[in-house]
Amino acid sequence: MPALEESQGVNKVVDSVCKLSPDLLTETCRHILFYLQGQTKGVDSAEISDEFQRAGVRCDHEALQNIIRFLLLTFRSAGKSNLSGDDLVKRLEEGSSKWPKASLQVLHRLWSEHGASVRAQQEVESALSIGQLVDMQWKLGMAVSSDTCRSLNSPYVSLLLKIVEPSGQICQKSFEMTIPQFQNFHKQFKEMAAVMETV
Amino acid sequence: MADVEASKSLSGLLNGIAQKVYYNNSEITEELLKDELYPELSQEEFKALHEKMKALIKSIATADMDPSQLEAFLTAQTKRQGSGGLGAEQAAALSRFWKSQRVRVRESLLSQSRWEPGLRGLSWRVDLHTAASRGDAAHSGPVALMELELGRAGQDSEFVCLEFDEAKVNQVLKKMSDIQESIDRIVHRT
Repeated sequence: MPALEESQGVNKVVDSVCKLSPDLLTETCRHILFYLQGQTKGVDSAEISDEFQRAGVRCDHEALQNIIRFLLLTFRSAGKSNLSGDDLVKRLEEGSSKWPKASLQVLHRLWSEHGASVRAQQEVESALSIGQLVDMQWKLGMAVSSDTCRSLNSPYVSLLLKIVEPSGQICQKSFEMTIPQFQNFHKQFKEMAAVMETV
Repeated sequence: MADVEASKSLSGLLNGIAQKVYYNNSEITEELLKDELYPELSQEEFKALHEKMKALIKSIATADMDPSQLEAFLTAQTKRQGSGGLGAEQAAALSRFWKSQRVRVRESLLSQSRWEPGLRGLSWRVDLHTAASRGDAAHSGPVALMELELGRAGQDSEFVCLEFDEAKVNQVLKKMSDIQESIDRIVHRT
């Protein structure tokens, strides 16, 4: 199998996926589906690479990563879009005319088997909603006066967090802290960083 | 004897007013205060006393008076003629009240003027991800999970859960030292 240089569109990846035997395609997809169902913590490309070698198929590291990424995206979006096995096959055919019938049958069968579990896991994950910080802006302000107190004289730190949720949506959260609260926040963050270094 | 009693009643009244106006204690009503502290007064007499004390406390709180400002203020009040005037005992009671309650009243006023959510709580843990390819970027190494509890006064908390890799944590730490630097500059100046 020739090495894939850069991802010149999905077609090159689709080419390499199409060339996989039904058995190898099944095995590779199972790894990915078990992960999407929440049964494994990740997709171990080294394990998959071993299986390829045992099957006598040469595949360099980058090409394999591209295949894994493609299948992850395909199944993940099929889950989010609530596609049936038939829908999935239709979508793949629309993307490329090169799909061998055998490969499409494998994908149809596997998705019909595992689709519901993948969707269930996706729902659990979005309920937990662990977001990632995209951007943090800060402001140091001084509350001077208000209608209930003419002389507030109170400094505060205001943070605006831009967070991307698992769904891909970006939301903003802002909040205020007194100076001592901010300093405690800072301290906690430093502790967290220290633990990360030792782990 | 009567003076001590009068003093106790007035202190009770001042604390009752603080509970109602600043500490959100809905159990304290004007009626309750009258029945407990000034049963012998008529309704109009008590109302007048209550309004007068409330107005004085509000003036003191709004200006966040320090001890010398308070003394000047109370002295001026005692010099006033007629019903607007303040007795020496009353001035003393107000002085004692402000000395003990100033910080707490100020906290209450500060939180009233805070309209953004505040940080009510914070917890975190560090996980180790050993497998690759979760999501878009290959993730191996420590991942920090932090949960922020945010909320406005009198409202339920919202929990925001974030995950960070080491690079992100360092970015945030850099911003936090910028903030600390700004704080130090202000403190230095004042």
